Amino acid sequence: MTGVLAHGVGSRSDLPIPLFYAYAGAFAALVVSFLALGLLWADSRFSGDRAGRALPWRPPARAARVITALLALYTLGWLLLAPAEDNAAPYLIYVVFWVGLVPASLLFGPVWRLANPFRLLPDRPRRALPERLGYWPAAAGLTAFTWMELVSPEPAATATLLIFLLLYGTATAAGTLTYGHAWLDKGDPFEVYSTLVGHLSPLGRRADGTLVVRSPFNGLDAIAPAPGLVATVCVLLGSTGYDGFSGAPFWVDALQTGPLGRAGLGTVGLLTAIGGVALLYTACLWAAGLIGGTRGLTPRFAHSLVPIAIGYLVAHYFSLFVIEGQRAAILALGLASEVNADVVGAGTIAAVQVLAIVTGHVLGVVAAHDRSVRLLEPARAVAGQIPLFVLMVCYTIGGLTLLFAA
Amino acid sequence: MRRVAALVAVVLLVTGCGSLPETHHRPGTGHEVATGAPAAGAPHAEITISGGKVTPPSGWLEVKRGQTVTLTVTSDVADELHVHGFDIARELEPGKAAGISFEADMTGVFQVETHESKLVLIQLAVT
Repeated sequence: MTGVLAHGVGSRSDLPIPLFYAYAGAFAALVVSFLALGLLWADSRFSGDRAGRALPWRPPARAARVITALLALYTLGWLLLAPAEDNAAPYLIYVVFWVGLVPASLLFGPVWRLANPFRLLPDRPRRALPERLGYWPAAAGLTAFTWMELVSPEPAATATLLIFLLLYGTATAAGTLTYGHAWLDKGDPFEVYSTLVGHLSPLGRRADGTLVVRSPFNGLDAIAPAPGLVATVCVLLGSTGYDGFSGAPFWVDALQTGPLGRAGLGTVGLLTAIGGVALLYTACLWAAGLIGGTRGLTPRFAHSLVPIAIGYLVAHYFSLFVIEGQRAAILALGLASEVNADVVGAGTIAAVQVLAIVTGHVLGVVAAHDRSVRLLEPARAVAGQIPLFVLMVCYTIGGLTLLFAA
Repeated sequence: MRRVAALVAVVLLVTGCGSLPETHHRPGTGHEVATGAPAAGAPHAEITISGGKVTPPSGWLEVKRGQTVTLTVTSDVADELHVHGFDIARELEPGKAAGISFEADMTGVFQVETHESKLVLIQLAVT
């Protein structure tokens, strides 16, 4: 029997990072923020969607989608036909698909858009996608998935996964048949997840579909504000943050002794983490708008949280990916080998975690700086950025604290 | 001057929102660990499950890699004990103390859980 832990699958979690790593990371984040405030450019340099060098190549989308449709059927076959013991499906879903989408999208851009099997459905919208719907369906879908992974009583059970896949499949098929592929752009949680992460990749896709090589900063700058975008990013950040403290002894104890029951208190914890991240963001953006003399900033800085969320994701899932990824391959392919849990040592894991959090912070600070000097009144641009830096430093130190304490 | 004041304000805010706790890293300052009769410094915990409650409350047991961990668990109902990662299982009979002992040969944090009642009894932090 393979254990089920906070991450949906996996039988171990990471040790706390050494105190020195936590302070070094926090110090680096602070120094970079102050330097950025004083030394970075005074006029916006990023050109977002227009940037980059176009590549004269179109990837074979149809073939990719057929292959992923077959892989999805293979996973479904594991769920429906194989016994619960040593079933590969939870590993394929949580490790290879969910966690694996992060490195795949970081390297190759919006890969799930390319390989999404739902894009094999015809793009014949019966209605136009309502503008105000935006990313909200994706935010809801990502909340549901992370709830299943982190809170539900049996995240790796066949029944749990089948119920999720049934609901997700029905909603996505219905959305696509009603609104065409526009639904998948903003409504499919996994495509949105992969596309947001993919904006940090050197390989990008312009809004018109051209494949480009571009700086990750221009990639980030190309994220277009839309309703629900802030919520989507906050779900990614908040749920990963919840994952970080859900293993802390005080929380484990509260979950199993509290009056709400495990799922009840877990739901409260997950939603509080997401809400807390969103509240902090809204408050700091409100302050930045007040100081910078500009209104309506809230949706226009969501892109700068994307690298911070990716930093959290990498920090929390790195060891799971390299260790449980082996189990996914062993179970799915029926290999005779054993999982080597020593493939990465505690020191390597801690270094990767701190580097991921600090790198995410630096990229977020630079992205927010460029957007600030574009949107805020020039005379107030520096002062107006202070709440943004406070916001990011809080997320970063919060992330390091989670790694250190939980 | 205004910039300096702003920087000071940021530092104050930052230190306010991220104090780093000291528990877990200094043995003895963290969560309580039952220590019955440890064999010359070997990590040991004695845990009782009664009416769905774990005593002492679920905490951490700090273990150095290579040490032999001994756990003694008494449950008031029949259940199965499972040490994650090391994949050790042991039947628990009602009211009877069950002991397991194994070498912690992997690093990481591992939960010790009951299968039926799904209680986390303790977490082993192997460094």
